[in-house]
Amino acid sequence: MFKHYFKTAVRNLGKSKVFSFINILGLTIGLTCCILMVLYIRHELSYDDFQKKGDRITRVIMEYSMGGSVMSGNFTSTKVAPAFKKNFPEVEQAVRMTNSNRIIHYDDKLFDEKSFMYADSTFFDIFSFKLLKGNPQYALSGPNVVVVTQSTSKKYFGNDDPVGKIIKVGSDETPYQVTGVIEDCPSNSQIKYDMLASFSSLGETQEETYWNANFTTYLLLKDKKDIASLQAKIPAFMKKEMAAVLSGNDYVTFNLEPFRSIHLHSPYEGFEPNSSITYIYIIGIVALLILAIACFTYVNLSTARSMERAKEVGIRKVSGAHKKQIFWQFIGESMILSVISLLLSFGLAALLLPSFNQLADRQLDLYSMFSPFIIGLAILIIICISLFAGSYPALILSGFQPVKVLKGAFKNTGSGLLLRKTLIVFQFAISAFLIVATFIIQNQLHFIQNKDLGFDREHIVVLPLDQKMRDNLNTIKTEFKTNPDVLSLAKASNEPINIISGFNMRRADQADKENISVNANVVDEDFIKTIGAKIIEGTDFTLQDSKDVLDAKEDDKVTYHFILNESAAKALGWTPEEAIGKKMYLGDQRPGLVKAVVKDFNFSSFHDPIKPLVLFNEGWGGNLLVKLSGKHLPQTLAFLESKWKELVPQRPFEYRFLDDDYNKLYQSEIRLGKVLNIFATIAILLAALGLFGLSAYTIQQRTKEIGIRKVLGASVPNVITLLSKDFLTLVIIASLIAFPIAWWAMNKWLEDFVYRVSIGWWIFLISGIIAVVISLLTVSFLAVKAAVANPVKSLRTE
Amino acid sequence: MLELKGIYKWVNTGNHRTFLLKDVDMTVQAGEFISIMGPSGSGKSTLLNVIGMLDEFNEGEYIFMNESVHKLKEKQRSSLYKQYIGFVFQAYHLIDELTVYENIETPLIYQNIKTSERKAMVADILDRFQIVGKKDLFPTQLSGGQQQLVGIARALIANPKLLLADEPTGNLNSKQGEEIMNLFKQLNDEGMTIIQVTHSEKNAAYGSHIINLLDGMIQKN
Repeated sequence: MFKHYFKTAVRNLGKSKVFSFINILGLTIGLTCCILMVLYIRHELSYDDFQKKGDRITRVIMEYSMGGSVMSGNFTSTKVAPAFKKNFPEVEQAVRMTNSNRIIHYDDKLFDEKSFMYADSTFFDIFSFKLLKGNPQYALSGPNVVVVTQSTSKKYFGNDDPVGKIIKVGSDETPYQVTGVIEDCPSNSQIKYDMLASFSSLGETQEETYWNANFTTYLLLKDKKDIASLQAKIPAFMKKEMAAVLSGNDYVTFNLEPFRSIHLHSPYEGFEPNSSITYIYIIGIVALLILAIACFTYVNLSTARSMERAKEVGIRKVSGAHKKQIFWQFIGESMILSVISLLLSFGLAALLLPSFNQLADRQLDLYSMFSPFIIGLAILIIICISLFAGSYPALILSGFQPVKVLKGAFKNTGSGLLLRKTLIVFQFAISAFLIVATFIIQNQLHFIQNKDLGFDREHIVVLPLDQKMRDNLNTIKTEFKTNPDVLSLAKASNEPINIISGFNMRRADQADKENISVNANVVDEDFIKTIGAKIIEGTDFTLQDSKDVLDAKEDDKVTYHFILNESAAKALGWTPEEAIGKKMYLGDQRPGLVKAVVKDFNFSSFHDPIKPLVLFNEGWGGNLLVKLSGKHLPQTLAFLESKWKELVPQRPFEYRFLDDDYNKLYQSEIRLGKVLNIFATIAILLAALGLFGLSAYTIQQRTKEIGIRKVLGASVPNVITLLSKDFLTLVIIASLIAFPIAWWAMNKWLEDFVYRVSIGWWIFLISGIIAVVISLLTVSFLAVKAAVANPVKSLRTE
Repeated sequence: MLELKGIYKWVNTGNHRTFLLKDVDMTVQAGEFISIMGPSGSGKSTLLNVIGMLDEFNEGEYIFMNESVHKLKEKQRSSLYKQYIGFVFQAYHLIDELTVYENIETPLIYQNIKTSERKAMVADILDRFQIVGKKDLFPTQLSGGQQQLVGIARALIANPKLLLADEPTGNLNSKQGEEIMNLFKQLNDEGMTIIQVTHSEKNAAYGSHIINLLDGMIQKN
């Protein structure tokens, strides 16, 4: 019996090639999307699962308030780990870690290692990374020892045993001894490194302070339930610890984050960028919608084709088949179709995996595609699709009355028609929604790229600046400027695209308590010029202004010079004109005079409004902004590099473009845009494919009608209009359903941006036109063929 | 073998009731070969479908092999019919996707007969109808007469007691038609009860008994 059904099914699929092709193609694409998405989602959800003690690990988040403004971040000082371990019985173990870039020399090999991690020797007590060679107790104890991953070992030492070898680390070539080999970090780990050095190698940076928070601290608790009770104790403990240094409402405290929820739920990045659970939901839903579109196509085509299969059903019933037997026969057919599609989609997914990895910024491997989970899920999906997509056609077909179908009096039922129309509306509604969403996201991304920020971020190279360089800054500037394509250089503590340092400020005539929180950036006299901001009142900093502060002796009464943005002036109650020359405080220790007011510019992402900002100079700031002309870019960069080697031999030359950092602020939006672009294209293609199949059958059924109409004098355009009209109406209805939903959803998305595009009516117009044009092209392709056919021929065959 | 008593069948169109069968009484004995004749629309096919349990009737009694068909449930009726009735159509109604062999085999599949047994039964009938050489061809590769031969083979494969034929020669030329009718005659001689619907006096003459229908009523001669 089974063999018999199988045979019939296969022959049927072979016979109606268009039908089979459309269905298999549609399902294959839908399933491929699903497989890739499941791989991705599963990978994201599995983050850090391999950590055996993962549920007992917490990350420490620092929260502090200075003068009313509260800041928090994934950074802690070196003191947190030892202090917590000593004072809280809940803490079993603690580790401090930090990642950095290091230049590594070995023999004649020279690499720039981006993931050079420092960690306490307790690392191995807390995390489950497996040490393949070496002793976990000693591998990270003592300064200047390093453990390398397997692939790093291969890179440097080939097949030699690396243990005991000496590598030279950093521009000062400090020798580090290799004490072990560790397995490569799994791709679903938030902690990733190529080399793991002992924390004590950092030497003098291990200070006993809660400030200088530059490290990540993880705690291993004795019990996973301790997290709440420990959390409750921290504020009081920290109040005691900080009593000597903090007064008023200022405070420092720490919050504990469960380790496993960091990747998807934490607002603070790990050692690699986080993902977001919302993003996972969106992707999952969209992938399911695409699969639904493909399934609907199957339902539509199958029911439309039921006319063709009716005779067969009739004969089978006359031959004694039960309704049930017919039902399962058709379910079996849809199952065969799904299985073929599934096999194809596995192949396609494997083929697309590299490009997908690039898009998703992940390293999913082929291997994980054939895990029992995925295979099991695939089988489940196949059964669901077979039942979901197959049962309606199967029900319709198995319900046929043999007398009616065999006598040819059979007509497609009205309800089937309604269902088909509903499904088409649904398919196109999804497509229209995705088109609108794509347009709006692209529109917003375009806006982000092109909106005038109030300064010019083009052709600015960002270089690191350390103390040695700051001492020598004027020489460095002069040397770099010998190239005519280097226009100007400036120091800045934050890049102007994302100024996050928080301070507070007040007018000289205000009391301490009336502090206003403000962002501030340490800059030098060339900053305004370099970024091209516009001073609307007052004059730019001069070299002397900088010297006033930088050259001041310890006990001198320093007067700072400030440049405010408009918002800061307003917050202090001044118009730009009034502000010039006024006395104010930045923090309590920085009295100064307002030198200029600069036009508001966007110094953080468009998610936030422009807030008050103060620019001032002081003896720190880790970025050197280099404004280039933009001409001869490669040559200029080569010049910068050669000058760098000459002037800053202690550091490797590493540069970034400000523009790239700017784009990073919108990384998740850019990625969402890319993903939706692809999904929207696939959705509309699948919907068009379904429409194509359905119109093919409709037109086939109406061949006689078309013939009669033509004999009666209908022109070709008349016939095309007749055939396209019905489908067009459906597409328009679909658009009308999708647009309000899209409008609502995208408004929600845009609400995250303070600076955003408005959703113009033209977006809906264009989306509507796209949907209509695509469906019109699809239908008319066949309609034209039917319309120009010789009516005599079609009438004769009837 | 079967008996129809006062069978009525009608359809309602608006307020108007159209009778397809009107007070049909009919008795068929085992071994008879009955021809139903009448003009188009007289209800011949409807009567045949009622006898074949493919169609329902509105009033009357139908007793088949001592069972009251009108009282049976769908499932019982279907199993009764599966067991005793074979159907031959004017348009052959073979499944295009199946070969000759598979078409003939289909009813056996629905009767849950084992593969080996099916093989023997199909081989037997292919042999008897001398179409062994055609068993792997598809219906579209056969002439009309050959297709009808397959149709009859399929109707007979499950050893029915009653063969119902709805204008079996309607789509055939006269020579092919004659061959089919001779086959029917031969089957009848072997003891098969046959009821056929036909337009042709000549074909009707093969039967042992003719029933004339007009407007759903049997005309008494």
